[in-house]
Amino acid sequence: MPASRDTIESVKDAIYKSCLLLDDFKFKDWLELCDSDFTYAIVAYSPEIRRDMTYFSGDRKQLATMLDLLPKHNTDHSPLKRHATVYDVAVDDSGKTAEAITSVLIYQNMLDGINSHIDAGENRLFVVGRYLDTFRLNGGAPKFVRRHVRLETRRLDKGSHWPL
Amino acid sequence: MPSRNAAQWNTPPNSLRIDEFVDSRIYSDPAIFEEELEKIWKKSWLPVCHESELPEPYDFRTLTIAREPILVVRGPDNKIRAFLNVCPHRGMLIERRPSGSFLENQASGNPKHMTCMFHGWQFDMKGNCAMITREKEGYQDRLSRKDLGLRELRCETTFGNFVWVTLDDNNTQSVNDWAGDALACIQKNLDAEPLEVFHYHKAIIGTNYKLWHDTNSEFYHDYMHYFNRITGFTPEYFARKNVAHKNGHVVVGTFEVQYEKYQLGKSRAELSFPGLPPNQWFMVDLFPGANFNLRGSALRVDVMTPLSADTVMIEFRGLGLKRDTAEERMRRIEHHNSIWGPFGRNLHEDLLGVAGQGSAMLPGSEPRRIIQARHENETIHDEVGMRHFYQEWGRRMNRLPSDPTRKYMEAAE
Repeated sequence: MPASRDTIESVKDAIYKSCLLLDDFKFKDWLELCDSDFTYAIVAYSPEIRRDMTYFSGDRKQLATMLDLLPKHNTDHSPLKRHATVYDVAVDDSGKTAEAITSVLIYQNMLDGINSHIDAGENRLFVVGRYLDTFRLNGGAPKFVRRHVRLETRRLDKGSHWPL
Repeated sequence: MPSRNAAQWNTPPNSLRIDEFVDSRIYSDPAIFEEELEKIWKKSWLPVCHESELPEPYDFRTLTIAREPILVVRGPDNKIRAFLNVCPHRGMLIERRPSGSFLENQASGNPKHMTCMFHGWQFDMKGNCAMITREKEGYQDRLSRKDLGLRELRCETTFGNFVWVTLDDNNTQSVNDWAGDALACIQKNLDAEPLEVFHYHKAIIGTNYKLWHDTNSEFYHDYMHYFNRITGFTPEYFARKNVAHKNGHVVVGTFEVQYEKYQLGKSRAELSFPGLPPNQWFMVDLFPGANFNLRGSALRVDVMTPLSADTVMIEFRGLGLKRDTAEERMRRIEHHNSIWGPFGRNLHEDLLGVAGQGSAMLPGSEPRRIIQARHENETIHDEVGMRHFYQEWGRRMNRLPSDPTRKYMEAAE
């Protein structure tokens, strides 16, 4: 049975809401969109070493701990802002899970990463990639159970402490 | 203590010896940078990639040393060779991809050959010129293919099967002569069994390459890293030796990292590299800009490519054991990248540090003194590593690091 328009829209809404929450540093609220067995990874393929790579990975507990520790780490506070377009939502035949492909560009709004007098306020394209999401559908709002951020960008310069 | 006026700011404290500080112009002067490319980077052995990046005959990697494009290829005889990646005809790059296989057909040429796409000149895996299009018609008998081979570079595969290249045909040292003394502390760990690259990424940072090498050479900056303060700062950490080796290299000795002290951290003992005691950590800094960092379960290797006085490209590789199971490999990757990945805890902080230095030492900025005067019995926070590096730098450049307008040799006398 084809998935209902409402189901597909609810998946899209969850993805866009995740972008807003991440943009606004509302990390705890972002994790609330995720089920207890949620896993997250930033992955990329390297044409240099001809391998798939995992740049970062963690489960929900690890992410929560990492986010709690952020104030103890020195970091580039230049905010990241996402521009996302959901390209595809596929609901499985049982109607219990869905997978979505989202194109995402993440911009860095320069603040203190280099020389704030010169750079602050400038926007730089930080990474290009896709969100590859898996959801659990329980009748209510879809819950993220897996997010893979698959990056095309591999020149990552200073990198980041924040989830993408 | 009072702040200082310009004259005071520009006068080194009398108590400092001339080897206990450097002049920031060595990090910012474009003329000094050009001289470094000639006198240092074109003369040194550099670990440019790992043999697992070109595992099969006809596999290749491309890279750059001191603006010279390099092609590293594994021949059908399984030997890895390095060539200038430049066609002897009109100076075009022969291979444009970062990696691949010459077994594949190419648009302008045949399999099993390196082909310049521009005019279809082809070369075999030993660098011999194998094919010149319309050779007889254009060159009659005036040019011979035997005089048109590629420029081969000295290349060795050693120390964990890294591929080392030097641009200097007249360099009388082998890689072992060059780096063996420093790498001896981890050689048995690197050579016990085949390694494999699992991580690669690069950063281009607005800073001088030596500032990154300085950061790898001194551990006093562990105060910047919450992770290292929590898992490190024990009496054994502060006793860790920091030892100068010949040719400007430095080794920071080992101690047992207490990974479990970081929130959700776990011991890495069961995945320790062969022969490495559990959770130990060696750091080898190789002049002029490479670093072998063996931390328990994962090897990190940094290789720098200086791009200008105020810009450097750093390539970061992570390696495990070729025989790793999928589960072991994933844990090694997590161990490596949770600290050293582009989204890890420490690498981001290190890069912020040198980016901040680079912002304050742009070409044309006022000369300043950068202090490297910590003496702690050659232990971890002793800045002996930087002082040793700049002795080698001074000898090779014949410039005094604390005043690069003076000749090093004259000052030494």
